[in-house]
Amino acid sequence: MSATGGAAALSGSGTAEPADSHSAAGHTIRSPAPPLRTALSLARVEASLLTRSVLILAGLLAGGAVIWLTIRSTEPLWWNAGWRIGFGQVVLGMAVLVAAQLAAARPRRDAMTDLYASFPATAGTRTLAHLAGLVGAVPASLVLIGAAAMVVQLRGAIGTPSIAVLAGGLLLVIAAGAAGIAIGTRFPHPMAGVLGALVLFLSSGQSHLPWAAGLWLYPWASFGDQLGSLPGPLTGYPPADAHALELAGLAVFAGVVALAITLSGTRARGMLAAAGIAALAVICLAGALQLRPIPTGDLNRLVSMVTDPASAQHCATANQVRYCLYPGYGSLLPSLEAPVNAVLAHVPARPAKPLTFRQVAGLSLPDSTLTHGHPDRQVSQWDARANRAPANLGGSSGSSPPASEVYLPVGSWPAAGGQLADAHFDLALAAAEWAVRIPSQAIGSIPPQAGGSASRQVPLACVPLDQAREAIAIWLAIAATHPSVGELNGHLNVHGVVGEPVTVKVGSSMVPTWIWAYPGSNDLGGGYAPDAVSGPGRGPQTTAAGYLLAKAMTSLPEQKVSRVLTGSWARWLNWHTTDARLAAALGIPMPTVPAGSQQPGNPVDLLCTT
Amino acid sequence: MTVNVRTAAVRADGLSRRYGATRALDEVDLTLDRGITGLLGPNGAGKTTLLSILATVNEPDAGRVSVFGLDPRNAGERVEIRRHLGYLPQELGYHRHFTVAGFLDYVAILKEITDRRRRAEEVARVLAAVSLERRARTRIRALSGGLRQRLGIAQALLGQPDLLILDEPTAGLDPEQRLRFRELLSELPGDPVIVLSTHQADDIAAICPTVVVLLQGRVRFGGTPSELTATAAGRVWAAAERDARAHLSWRGGDNRWRHIGDHPPPGAELVTPTVEDGYLLLSHAAGAR
Repeated sequence: MSATGGAAALSGSGTAEPADSHSAAGHTIRSPAPPLRTALSLARVEASLLTRSVLILAGLLAGGAVIWLTIRSTEPLWWNAGWRIGFGQVVLGMAVLVAAQLAAARPRRDAMTDLYASFPATAGTRTLAHLAGLVGAVPASLVLIGAAAMVVQLRGAIGTPSIAVLAGGLLLVIAAGAAGIAIGTRFPHPMAGVLGALVLFLSSGQSHLPWAAGLWLYPWASFGDQLGSLPGPLTGYPPADAHALELAGLAVFAGVVALAITLSGTRARGMLAAAGIAALAVICLAGALQLRPIPTGDLNRLVSMVTDPASAQHCATANQVRYCLYPGYGSLLPSLEAPVNAVLAHVPARPAKPLTFRQVAGLSLPDSTLTHGHPDRQVSQWDARANRAPANLGGSSGSSPPASEVYLPVGSWPAAGGQLADAHFDLALAAAEWAVRIPSQAIGSIPPQAGGSASRQVPLACVPLDQAREAIAIWLAIAATHPSVGELNGHLNVHGVVGEPVTVKVGSSMVPTWIWAYPGSNDLGGGYAPDAVSGPGRGPQTTAAGYLLAKAMTSLPEQKVSRVLTGSWARWLNWHTTDARLAAALGIPMPTVPAGSQQPGNPVDLLCTT
Repeated sequence: MTVNVRTAAVRADGLSRRYGATRALDEVDLTLDRGITGLLGPNGAGKTTLLSILATVNEPDAGRVSVFGLDPRNAGERVEIRRHLGYLPQELGYHRHFTVAGFLDYVAILKEITDRRRRAEEVARVLAAVSLERRARTRIRALSGGLRQRLGIAQALLGQPDLLILDEPTAGLDPEQRLRFRELLSELPGDPVIVLSTHQADDIAAICPTVVVLLQGRVRFGGTPSELTATAAGRVWAAAERDARAHLSWRGGDNRWRHIGDHPPPGAELVTPTVEDGYLLLSHAAGAR
């Protein structure tokens, strides 16, 4: 049966009309916009939607928080900070992935596939638009990079930012977005994007992943590197240029996959296949480049810098104190000098041997991310040398600082997890303990390990039990840096438990000790030490009694204390001079020392007797 | 590619489409010219399938379609057809977080209106056409069902399509909006080809010069509403009592029974049939009800 409304009026090929002209019937004969122009117009809208996306904003904030958490506790070394900024981009990338998946799956998720299928803009054009629209995520990434870079710079950054590392973070965000689009074109359910984001997070290099040498092949290596303790940038660690290339390849490949799902036509598919193969080739090439071993010469130089810092450092003398720093760290000098000079201004007479502050760098070997591709024998040699590095203080074979030297571990300035004020106090305390001649260590013996060899003689931190010079040193540090009451109030704590001093055993005495404790305090040689310095000022040797007496001294006028100290300086430095004698000389009562809990298995500590 | 929108229209020859064991369309032949064609049929008659095929969204299992002389089986010609098409699917979801104007702007781009100024003009025009100007900045999720239906109609009107396919466009519209919709279609410039499916026979009678009745996947009638009405002439009666022999009967607002059938009930008087009567008789004859 045929149904017709009036005369049939069909034409297989009617007369061509001029573009954008009006026919006699009043219809507009449109000149079609090229698909690329349509894609660009759509991309503009998609970019705008992405830019204003709540998800992206959340990703931006979360990424910023992650970056802040990871850089606030480390020294602002650009070769490390840049990589940490990139890890914040992983978080933003996760948000972009989810947002892009939601956008690409929008027609199906909103039950609009029939309507979309009636439009002249094809699914391929729309996918192209989504891919181009990823430019909308770029501002968030740039804001994150810019803000983080500003923070690093304001914290007194050492070195210069690597464009390849920072650009890598941006490429990661774009690659994540392209992956989100590829997922969204195939799987419309929102959980698909969430799962994709989870995979991105889990595939960001973790130290527990089995193939440590291939750490850099993951989208972003977040842990397991030693970047933060290197004395300077090491070429190829991480292989930032090649990694950026890999991420660019991944972004293109994900885009090709997304287009392959939606584009039809033999020619288009042929071009996509070619682009996909090219992207895979780039990814493989980048992977191969990233797996290249770090040149032996570079690693040799690094090990030398770590084991023999003096060979690589420049020393500057100010106020008769030497500061020996690795190249590029000169900007640290003023912040090192200020607290030290403030202490020395109160000291009537300095020890004969001048004080030296020296940077030291740690290196943990074997580390296959660093030494992969090198023969085991060579790695063992480096390992043996690195073990003797000054930074490995307290280790079985690490060297000890000479009595007149204070070590400043790279990566711990300001003190890990603490503020610059903490670091200043550490420095001041180290200088003060040198000034009052408290020795850094004494030689003691470590009992044999289970099933191991006999006991060994190693340097251990000593405890200046009931020695007036200890309270004097603490008072000097307080007078030089004026830490806030809040900062000082938390001192009698153990692992963050305020008011409960830890007790160490010195001979037969149980001694509550004082810990200048803050997150990141290390357990070195059976005790506790600030991170920012190692040397005379390190260790648990400071006692609760000394701290409380020093605190009581701060209630007196500085001139009065200085007068008492200056009058009998040599006597105060004698290790036999007790806290009680100092209190009596100052006319203050001896503070009551709270009892503390003993750390299980604590060895017997040594008394400082020189 | 050449499109003659002046003389060419839409033609379907032997269209068939199955969904599993269900035959949605069974060798449908159809020729549509300019003006409004109403598509009447019960649920499951194949209206939506037919319209989706005409809109190039679905493909028939057999038969062919020609739109303005173009064959939608050819990818290039299919895109060209879509450039002249406005389509309102029966069940249209919406991007609920878009604003009304934002959604229309987005659809306008999908219809290849890439010039910003022209797009803005088009959006303003269709918003005015469906009286949604004041809702331009409202999020779609805040619109009622009727307002969303108007938005659906608006998006179909974008680009002044030469072929407008509307699947149950008046569903969800209040009486005033239905009248406004009739007015809107009557005023569309350029005399486009308009196909609309509906269950509202009075809509058909009011605005469609042509009506097609689709029953069980087959075209059972094609002609003017008057011709459809005429098929019921002499077969519609009004009586005080119900007559069991009638094909259909119901009690009207005047408390009298209206009968449609071949035999007059006792004491009945013949009444003037309507389009609906014609349609119901056709449905009964086809055994579709």
